[in-house]
Amino acid sequence: MEFSALFLAVAMAMAVAWRGSRRLALALFAIVLIASAATYLHHATDVLKLSF
Amino acid sequence: MTRAQALTLNALALYGVALVLAVAFAAQLVLGELPCPLCLLQRIQFAMLAIGPILNIRFGPRPSHYALSLFAAVLGATVAGRQMLLHILPGDAGYGSALLGYHYYTWAFIGFAAAVVLIALVLLFDRQFEPGTGDDARIGSFARTAAWLVIALTLLNVASTVLECGFRACPDNPTVYELLKSVR
Repeated sequence: MEFSALFLAVAMAMAVAWRGSRRLALALFAIVLIASAATYLHHATDVLKLSF
Repeated sequence: MTRAQALTLNALALYGVALVLAVAFAAQLVLGELPCPLCLLQRIQFAMLAIGPILNIRFGPRPSHYALSLFAAVLGATVAGRQMLLHILPGDAGYGSALLGYHYYTWAFIGFAAAVVLIALVLLFDRQFEPGTGDDARIGSFARTAAWLVIALTLLNVASTVLECGFRACPDNPTVYELLKSVR
């Protein structure tokens, strides 16, 4: 679910960068970047099912 | 490098991002290999790479726009690097199939690293940032098509991810489209 939201947010940031305000595009980019980093850290701190 | 040349390079970068997203879809649709959470995160960072060039084409080249792409490339390389390390032990088959001997996450790492180097190269040329260099052309169809292509591929990824994960957490090793499974 969070990945769908991230893709949608990126698409919105792209559309705003192309048609809308530069400041809003920069703000959306920052939000998506932070959310992506948080998502990565959430998965990176999961317990791994080790294969050996 | 003039402003017009820089804008052409930025448009080419958008076509490059579009190509990466399209190849990822090809692996998904033709080979039936659904993207895992880390794979999706890498696709998101490739899409994020495009925002810098879109801003450059729309508002003119600025170092800050290139910086956005650098941030996306560094985070993307981190995610791809983690996936490489998860499968680095001898005997580990890796995740998904290989293309020319490398898995897709390895190619992603190479792509993000290449993006960092290429952005650094482009930033060497200051003339693109000078106002009134005489190349103030309107946005041509080449750049316009590139921008819309990347936006369309990103929206396709929204649809694909909703189908794959439904409205729950995405599975670690996806094999079916969850939303399609639940409507049958």
